[in-house]
Amino acid sequence: MASNIEPILKDAMTSIEGAIGVALVDYTSGMALGTIGGGKDLDLTVAAAGNTDVVRAKVRTMEMLGLKDEIEDILITLGTQYHLIRLLNKRQGQGMFLYLALDKARANLAMARHQLKGYEGELEV
Amino acid sequence: MRRLSRQSAEGNQHLTVPAAVNDELRSLRARVPHLTGALVASVDGFVLARDAATSEAEGIAALTAVALGVGIRLAEVTGQGGFRELLVRGEQGYVATYAAGASAVVTVLAQPSVNVGRLHLEARRSTVRVAELVDAALAQSDKP
Repeated sequence: MASNIEPILKDAMTSIEGAIGVALVDYTSGMALGTIGGGKDLDLTVAAAGNTDVVRAKVRTMEMLGLKDEIEDILITLGTQYHLIRLLNKRQGQGMFLYLALDKARANLAMARHQLKGYEGELEV
Repeated sequence: MRRLSRQSAEGNQHLTVPAAVNDELRSLRARVPHLTGALVASVDGFVLARDAATSEAEGIAALTAVALGVGIRLAEVTGQGGFRELLVRGEQGYVATYAAGASAVVTVLAQPSVNVGRLHLEARRSTVRVAELVDAALAQSDKP
């Protein structure tokens, strides 16, 4: 099956209102499989590595708490941005997450979260 | 790339680098979890600085020089330009070598669980500092 990472990321960047940057990240290595957007104010390579630590920390915390559950998504709210991390399910990509940075002033968080979930279903890695 | 060692009556003499290079290695290990060792080697295979936990540093430095030779050639022949870095992934972990200026490299050992993305970012940052320190020490030693 051919990978559709690039078109999916492109589509997310244009269709999700307020999107600043999108990345598909392998959190076993901390490296991005694809990125779009970002720029000098948001280095997506740095974001991929940094948010890998965020995801790993949460996974570890859940293990320590004895929670036999899975992370669907993680929301980080900044003063001017939202950062959404959506973990892919096992079938599509074990150990991967979609990362979306949004401009808080332009974004609709509920809509963005819903759209991101949709992309998760379409993604073929 | 220039050689740092000099032949003399006593055998190979090589450059002494300032303690700040060791501090940089320590800082790199503190910034990246799951590292198991770090050293600075000259491009001709001598240990210039090492992290306390790094065993077999001499052997690693010597092998790094050999791999570096191949890496430089390979990048050159395939038109990729000057050497920047080399990543080897084994079943039990990683060995990564990053160019630090024209005369030294930083070689890092890491567990398989390391965040490679972070390792690249932090190691590249370290090489800038190491390159400055080594080049300054080199300029010093060139003076009569």
